Amino acid sequence: MHIHKYEKIWLAFGLASLIVFLTVIGISAFYLGNKPPSCLTTINPEKVDQTVPFNHPGLHKVEGKEWDYELVYVAQTFSYTPAEVKIPLGAKVKVIATTKDVVHGFEVAGTNINMMLEPGYVSEYVTTFNKEGEYLLLCNEYCGTGHHLMSSKIEVVK
Amino acid sequence: MAKTEPKGKKKIKDEENSSLKGTLVSVLFLGIFVIVTWVSVYFLFLNRF
Repeated sequence: MHIHKYEKIWLAFGLASLIVFLTVIGISAFYLGNKPPSCLTTINPEKVDQTVPFNHPGLHKVEGKEWDYELVYVAQTFSYTPAEVKIPLGAKVKVIATTKDVVHGFEVAGTNINMMLEPGYVSEYVTTFNKEGEYLLLCNEYCGTGHHLMSSKIEVVK
Repeated sequence: MAKTEPKGKKKIKDEENSSLKGTLVSVLFLGIFVIVTWVSVYFLFLNRF
């Protein structure tokens, strides 16, 4: 088969970029263990209030785990519980959230915390809050007439 | 048979001579754009919590 010299150059260029991108994703998934926020942990959406840990929403200190705190959120039309939370600077936190009714979004603006909350599923994200400030948690999945009012506040304090 | 041979040769020669420089430049331009945007989004991801 005859291939032009320039074609060989851009084929090699494309192939090399593909290998680099896939290697980065592969390391992230299989070595660092990154996974989608909702990874098949299920819950009965009608019994969220009675199910651990959602019976006590809020920030809880935990021992003997990879993270220092667990931040539990329950979403419902059109609010989050808790409505406001204070997190110590530098804390490694596992955010655990679910919804009682319809699909809600869970986005902490300006951070990588951005999950979809689906009824019946638990969404989780582990992160270290290493920048001081006030962060807005908001719903980015249209959930009904009060969608634009659905928000919560996270304060990272020293 | 003898008549078709030179025709085929000529076709290959034309392909060799056709300039793909413009195509190469546009492909590399697009490739660099993809890489720059990918890397900038990746570093944005790494720099936020």
